[in-house]
Amino acid sequence: MPKRTDLAAATGTDVVLRMKGVRKSFRRGLPPRRREIRVLKGADLEIRRAELVGLVGENGSGKSTLMQIVVGMLSRDAGEVSLRGRIGYCPQTPMVWEKLTVAEHFALFARAYGLEPTDARQAEGTLLDELQFERYRDVRVEELSGGTRQKLNLALALMHRPDLLLLDEPYAGFDWETYMRFWEMSERLRLEGMGILIVSHLLAERERLDRIYNLFDGRTEVKE
Amino acid sequence: MSGAVEVGGAFLREQLRSPLNVALLFAIPVFFVLIFAGVLGEFAAALGGDLAEQAATSISAGWAAAFLCGALGFFQLHSSREADRRLAGAGLGAWRVAGARMGSALALGAVASLIAYLTLLLRSGIEHPPHAAVAILFFTAIYIGIGALCGALVRGSLEGSLLVVLVFSLDVFSGPAMTSGGGLADVTPTRDAANLLIAAGSGKGSPAGEWFGAAAVGVGALVVALLAFWTVARSRR
Ligand SMILES: Nc1ncnc2c1ncn2[C@@H]1O[C@H](COP(=O)(O)OP(=O)(O)OP(=O)(O)O)[C@@H](O)[C@H]1O
Ligand SMILES: [Mg+2]
Repeated sequence: MPKRTDLAAATGTDVVLRMKGVRKSFRRGLPPRRREIRVLKGADLEIRRAELVGLVGENGSGKSTLMQIVVGMLSRDAGEVSLRGRIGYCPQTPMVWEKLTVAEHFALFARAYGLEPTDARQAEGTLLDELQFERYRDVRVEELSGGTRQKLNLALALMHRPDLLLLDEPYAGFDWETYMRFWEMSERLRLEGMGILIVSHLLAERERLDRIYNLFDGRTEVKE
Repeated sequence: MSGAVEVGGAFLREQLRSPLNVALLFAIPVFFVLIFAGVLGEFAAALGGDLAEQAATSISAGWAAAFLCGALGFFQLHSSREADRRLAGAGLGAWRVAGARMGSALALGAVASLIAYLTLLLRSGIEHPPHAAVAILFFTAIYIGIGALCGALVRGSLEGSLLVVLVFSLDVFSGPAMTSGGGLADVTPTRDAANLLIAAGSGKGSPAGEWFGAAAVGVGALVVALLAFWTVARSRR
């Protein structure tokens, strides 16, 4: 879609994320049986404002590892990561508290993001409505369906309108309608200037993306 | 700071929403003081110690608080470390998340201590109630530290809780008057607190050294707990 690429080039010159030569190994086990798994061997990546970028790669190729390095949940062995602005992160498996309600989650994250109460309420209302789970507002996570949990997981990444949004298979478990809404929402956020990196396996989504990085053998390559 | 208070409140609510947690909070102290005390006396005799009945009852209140707080400290860390880290990374910061976990652990610890204390009071009477209360709080602090440390070091819930139980068992069976002395008995973390509690039960005073010793270990344990909570939540950037 050349039109989209042009738009991105016209509106977004500032880089919100740049990774250069990032390396990461996991070391497991005690000395006689010590193993080292080299996951990233020099990954590069760049995302500008108002870009919707895909990250693909087979299972275990290191996509989630790469995202966790960007948000600071994992350390890296080498390489540079530079970020600009606020980050929103939607982990692959929901990182939430089983016994707290949806509304309590919004309250905790509003506090963490430093949102004013009115902004927080508004963001919560919009997201509950847009992802259509307002009727679960006062329900504990342990009682939610997988898809609804995932809606909460995604909403928590979005409520502060980040400059850079990292989405790790955010629509896993979404029904078709929610899935379509999710993509409309992403495209709108992108038009508003957000830089978005999304891990995705479905090549059907290709035409929505400005660029796709393929993670293979620990390195990223731009896929045409 | 106000952030940590609000978040700590949410963590506390989360823990209290488990009916089993709440039931155990009441059942364990009662069980320890009423039943475990007798068992402890018999074990002491078998191990060559001279734990009298009154002493066994008093110290059981400390062990009840210790057992509960070891579990509470561990599960504070274990139950939702991923969500805690996400919250810290979202801007709350690791120190505030750690402070919130600490607040929640202390609040539950205070409840556990209170119930253990009241059970002891009703069961046998205590000669020096304020001394006993402070001594039980030392047990609470020490085991919050032990539980949190195990939680930071061990990921699996089974391995972690077994580790807490192992430390607890070694501590109990090497405690004062449990054995004929020597070995582990001189280095257990709760040694001074246990002596204080036994003395308080029978109305004896305790040397200042024991008060200072127990206080130092208690405060040290709380620092360890805070650091353990922080370690888990901190950014790896
Ligand atoms: N904590 C860990 N300890 C050891 N190895 C790990 C750890 N986390 C990930 N790995 C390994 O790193 C590799 C990359 O994992 P990662 O989760 O990043 O893959 P992924 O590309 O996200 O896969 P998927 O498509 O299945 O989500 C895998 O081989 C995995 O086994
Ligand atoms: Mg993954």
